[in-house]
Amino acid sequence: MSSLIKTAAVTVALAGALVSTHAAAQNTIRIGAPLELSGRFVAYGAQGKRGVEMAVDVYGGKIGDKKIEVLFRDVQSNNQVAVTAFTELTQQEKVDFVIGPIASGIVAASVPAWRQSKPLWIVPGSSSTQLEEAMKGEPLFFHTYPWAYQYHEGTAKALAEAMGKGKKVAIVYSDGAYGREQLPWAKEFYTKNGFTVVATELVREGAADLNPVLQKIRLTRPDVLVGIVQTTDGIQLAKQIHVAKLNIPVLVGTAYPQLQEWSQATGEAADGWIGATTYLPGMKRAADPKLAKLFPSLTDWEADFKKRYNREPEFLDVTNYTSAMMLLVAIERAGSTDKDKVAKQLTTLNIQTMLGTSNFVPTPGGALHQAFNEMVVFQRVGEKFVALYPADAASGKLKLKQ
Amino acid sequence: MSLFWQCLVDSLLLGGLYSLMSIGLSLGFGVTRIINFAHGEMIMFGAYGAYFGSVLLGVDPLLSLPLVAILVAVTAAVVFKALIEKVLDAPHINQILLLFGISLALQNVAAILWTGDARSVSTPYSLTAFEFETLLVPHGRVIAFATAVVLIVALFCWLRFSELGRATRAVAENGQAATLMGINVSRMYMLSFGINAALGAATGAISAFLLTITPFMGFHMLIKAFAIVVLGGLGSVTGTILGAFALAFAETWVSYYVPEGNGWAEGVAFVVLLCVLIIRPKGILGQAVAVH
Repeated sequence: MSSLIKTAAVTVALAGALVSTHAAAQNTIRIGAPLELSGRFVAYGAQGKRGVEMAVDVYGGKIGDKKIEVLFRDVQSNNQVAVTAFTELTQQEKVDFVIGPIASGIVAASVPAWRQSKPLWIVPGSSSTQLEEAMKGEPLFFHTYPWAYQYHEGTAKALAEAMGKGKKVAIVYSDGAYGREQLPWAKEFYTKNGFTVVATELVREGAADLNPVLQKIRLTRPDVLVGIVQTTDGIQLAKQIHVAKLNIPVLVGTAYPQLQEWSQATGEAADGWIGATTYLPGMKRAADPKLAKLFPSLTDWEADFKKRYNREPEFLDVTNYTSAMMLLVAIERAGSTDKDKVAKQLTTLNIQTMLGTSNFVPTPGGALHQAFNEMVVFQRVGEKFVALYPADAASGKLKLKQ
Repeated sequence: MSLFWQCLVDSLLLGGLYSLMSIGLSLGFGVTRIINFAHGEMIMFGAYGAYFGSVLLGVDPLLSLPLVAILVAVTAAVVFKALIEKVLDAPHINQILLLFGISLALQNVAAILWTGDARSVSTPYSLTAFEFETLLVPHGRVIAFATAVVLIVALFCWLRFSELGRATRAVAENGQAATLMGINVSRMYMLSFGINAALGAATGAISAFLLTITPFMGFHMLIKAFAIVVLGGLGSVTGTILGAFALAFAETWVSYYVPEGNGWAEGVAFVVLLCVLIIRPKGILGQAVAVH
């Protein structure tokens, strides 16, 4: 008899706990955030976490009477861990909204896990066009970061306008997916804009000496050198180019020339490098007229960020803040946590954000929702950034390296 | 012709760095018969030590090198006493797992303490070069080469002429005989592990202005150092130097003379390693290692 009472008591307690958990879940909007919080891409994950946390805080932590809960998971910059974290978030925690991860390889590894339950997925990273291909026609996939070809499209056009036709370009690319995937795009856009590709040189990721590659490039006397490598190799490349005195008038990177970590590590060798981005510190962008508290002017947002974190924001801070904030606004406008309704709202937000207008458009590669296609080509001049392209954003002219 | 001389200079300079990077690992193995899979993290901590010395205190990496090497050596000796000594007689797999575990823990400690941001020290000499017509000799790499030579010569002198050095060689040659001669083998193990770490940290201090510093930089260097030690012959310090220069020459020449060779260089270098091991399984100057 007593065991029957015990069993009944345990059953009642468990049922109570389940009911209260269910009630808590009902009163909570849960967003999964699998991010690179340790491992080799920890810098990306740290920016992602800051951006998402700041967005939730600025939003007030609630949508209506429902608390916003972000379930951060550390994917450890590891493909297998990313799959496990993604699966846990969608299968066990049953989240319908996911932001992250960021690094191309980690995002690619997460795709099969995403396919199992297809939550609404915002990817504020990964420039890989393989992801674009894999997510072709997916209505719940939203990408808020440039694709690989967008880096080269704008830069080649900007340089052709500034330098004229008939110039020679040499390309250094890394032997990982990052370099190999971007090489054809770089070749295509530079050729299309009247450049002649005189050298393409492969470099090993993490190579201790790039001088052999640079000496071979010196013999081709290019006017432009494009370095399609990740940040760590970008540091090595910039320093060794500086030492080798290659006298190439224009040096072009991808995302890294705008990173503080890159410029601090390269020192004076960073001067004159060109890059492309959707966010440049000090850019002027107005606040959204209706949602100025959530999407203030870029200057005000940067000031708020510095006050909170005592550091300058990086472009992934802005990208993740904007992505998370857009999701929160869409959930509120949908009046529901139904992912299809929220997705519909996301596509019609039309907000002026710190990265430009939030319109999602289809891409040439078949992804349905791509935001922030307005790439700004810039040049590092001393400690400052000079916007070169497009004309309406330009704050100066191309300066050739001596 | 200009590429030939440039290639020769680059190979030599890279060989110096590789020698310093791997000589500590070789010495450590020669004495303790344990491959220090956390060697890369000694390099990484040396690099961070030199970096913070430069950024926070304005001390040149070359000046901070001795202090950084001593600090890392003392820490490594403590870790040896606390953890590694307990597995000296354990199966190799236990030793490997323990050292890999230490390596992973140290990587993540560094990532937590200093974030994953890539860093590098920019000294006046790290961004300049000697120029002889078309030949370019980077100051930073020459200084790194000279530092490596000084440290390696110092190591050889210590091994040959000092009492502790001779005791280290005795233990490397025959631990049991050394014990019978009254040498404190346990102490020599700890000392050689500490020197292994100090040489790793010295490599790191030099890397601080030559390469990019991240918490995960050590693993790549460990693989390279391990290949060099195997190529030169496990436990042979002289063989390690030969192995380092062989690998540096192979990599650099492939980089210069094979189309897109920099991408292939490492692969070709490992093919060289494979060939040497097929012809001479002990490596260039190696000793036989018993399989337990």
